[in-house]
Amino acid sequence: MTQERVSLQRGLHGIEQLGGLLIAALFAIGALVPNLLSDYALLIGFRLMLYIVLAEAWNLLAGYCGLVSLGSASFVGIGAYVLVGLLNQTGVPVPVAVLIAGLAGAALSAAVSPAVFRLRGLYFTVGTLALGEALRLLMINVPWFGGATGLFLRADWPSSAELYRYVLALLILTELVISVGAHSRLSTLMRAVRDDEDAAAQVGVRAFRVKLGTFMVASLLMSAAGALQAYKLTAVEPYGMFGLQWSVDVLAMVIIGGIGLRYGPVIGAVFVVLLGELLADYPELHVAITGVILIVLIRFAPKGLAGVAERTVNLFGRRVAGAHSV
Amino acid sequence: MLSVEAIASSVASGFLLGGILALTALGLSIVLGVMRLVNLAHGVFLVAGAYLAFFLLQATGIDPIIALIPIGAAIAIAALPVQRFLLEPLAKFGPEAPMMTTFGLAIVLENLFVLYFSADTRSIERDYATVPLALGLVSVPLVYVIGFVISVCAIVAVHFVISRTAFGRDLRASAVDPSAAAAVGVDVRRVHALTFALGAACAAAGGTLIGIIFSFTPASGANYLLTDFAIVVLGGMGNIFGTLIGGILLGVLQSLAGITLGDGYRDLVGLVLFLSVLAVRPQGLFGGHTA
Repeated sequence: MTQERVSLQRGLHGIEQLGGLLIAALFAIGALVPNLLSDYALLIGFRLMLYIVLAEAWNLLAGYCGLVSLGSASFVGIGAYVLVGLLNQTGVPVPVAVLIAGLAGAALSAAVSPAVFRLRGLYFTVGTLALGEALRLLMINVPWFGGATGLFLRADWPSSAELYRYVLALLILTELVISVGAHSRLSTLMRAVRDDEDAAAQVGVRAFRVKLGTFMVASLLMSAAGALQAYKLTAVEPYGMFGLQWSVDVLAMVIIGGIGLRYGPVIGAVFVVLLGELLADYPELHVAITGVILIVLIRFAPKGLAGVAERTVNLFGRRVAGAHSV
Repeated sequence: MLSVEAIASSVASGFLLGGILALTALGLSIVLGVMRLVNLAHGVFLVAGAYLAFFLLQATGIDPIIALIPIGAAIAIAALPVQRFLLEPLAKFGPEAPMMTTFGLAIVLENLFVLYFSADTRSIERDYATVPLALGLVSVPLVYVIGFVISVCAIVAVHFVISRTAFGRDLRASAVDPSAAAAVGVDVRRVHALTFALGAACAAAGGTLIGIIFSFTPASGANYLLTDFAIVVLGGMGNIFGTLIGGILLGVLQSLAGITLGDGYRDLVGLVLFLSVLAVRPQGLFGGHTA
C-alpha cells in the first residue's frame, strides 16, 4: 500500500471516530438557533433522528454482533406503553420516564434471551419475530393496558421544539455509545462472536454474555425511542406501537444504508425517511418498493449505499495515489 | 358452562385442523432441514395458493380440492426462479442474506396482493364447507375431515418420496453434508431448487384448504408463517412425522385456548408455545432428524 493511501485511510478512520457526533452536532444547530426550523422541519428532524437511533441500535445488534432481529417492534412498543403508564400514574419528569422505559426494554430483552439465544443464528430472527407478534396479540386481547384501543396520555401536547430537543439528547447518547462501542475491545469481542461463535468461545470469549450485553443495550435504545414516539403521539395502541412495520423499517434502513458499517444506519435512515415522504400517499407501493430495493441491494451491493460510497472513495484514492507514484 | 359435546367437538376440530397446518409446516421444515434456509416468504406462498384457488374457482368453477395438485404445481413453478436467481447466488454469503431476501420478497408480494386484489377478507365459498358431520358426541365440519385426510396423504407421500426414491436419497445426502454429496455426484443445486419448489407446493396446497375453511387476507401470511414455525420447532426440524404430531398438538391447543379464553387467543397460544419450547427444549419435543 502506498503512503498516500495509508494516510487517506487513517484520515477516514479519524473522521469515523468523530463522525457520529458530528451528525448529532448538525442536528443540534436546529435546536440551538431559535426559529431556524419550521414546525414541519422540526417534525421531520424528530422522525429522522428517531429512525437514526433505531437503525444504530439495530446495526449494533446485527452488523457488529450478527444478531438479525425482526422484533424491533417489541421494544418500541414496550417503551411506548411504559412511558404512557408512568406519566399517567406517577407524574415523573419526561426524561426519567424515557430512561425507565429504556430500562424496561433492556429487562424484556434479558427475559427473552434464554429463548431467542438458545439455537444459533437464524432462530434469533424467527424468535424475535414471534416475540413482536406475541406481544401485539397479547396487548390486543388482554383487558389491561387499554386492550385494542390502547391508552391516552393525560398530559399537554408537547411542542415540536420540545420533542426535537428530547430526541436530539437520545441521538447524542446513542452516537456516544456506538462510537465508544465501535472502537473498544468490546467491538472486537462482538465481531469475534459474529464471525465464529465456537472459535470465539475457544479463545475464552464469553459469547452468551457478549450477545446478551449487546442485545440489552440495543433494546434500551430502541425502547427509549419508542417512548419518545409515544410522547409525540400522546396515545398508544397495540396495532401501531407493536406493528411489524417498525421491525421492517429498522431492518430496511440498515440493509439499505450498509450493515456493519459506521455510517450505514445514518445513510439508510435518511433514505428511508425521504422515500417515506415521497410515497406518503401510496403506503402499499412504498413498502413494496422498499422490499424491491432490499432484494436488489442484498443481491448486488451487500454492504448497502455506504459500501458503494466506500468502494468509490477507495477507487478514487487509488487513482490519486497511482498518479502520484508515476 | 361449556358442555362436554362442545369441548369434544372443539378438540376434534383442532385435531383435524392441526393436520392441515402440519402440511403447510412441512414445506417450511424441509426447506429449513435441507437448505438451512429460513424461508420468511413461506406464509406469502400459502396466501398465494389461496388466491390462485379463489380466482380459479371464480373464473372456471373448478373445485379447488380437485385442482389441489395443479395449484401446488403452479406455485412451485413460480417459486423456482426465486430460488434460482435470488437465493442460489447468495448461498455463499452465509444464511442471513438469503433469509433477508425472502423477507424482502414477502413484503413485496404481500403489498402487491393488497394493490391488485385489495385488502378485503376473502374466503373460498364451497357448500361442503358448512356441512356438519356428527359422530356420537362429536360434531365437526365435513370439510375439516376432507382437509385432514388430504393433508395426511400428502405428508405420507412426501415421506415416501424422501425415504424411497432416488431424489429422496440425493435430498437426504445434501441435507447431511452438501459438499460431500456434491463430491459423490449429487447435483446439490438441483436438489435445492426442487426442495424449495416442494416447500412452496406444500404451502400452496395447505393455503387452499385453509382458504376454504377460514378466510384470508394479504396479511394472513405472517400469521401462518409463525404458526408453522411453532409446529416445526415442536416437531423437530426436518422430522416429517414429528411435524404432523406437532401440528395436531398445536391445533388442539389452539382450539382449547379458543373456547376457554376467547378466539383472540388462538394465535397467541402458538407463539407462546414456540418461545417456551425454544427456551426449554430447542431440539423439539420429538428430536430433529434431517428430512
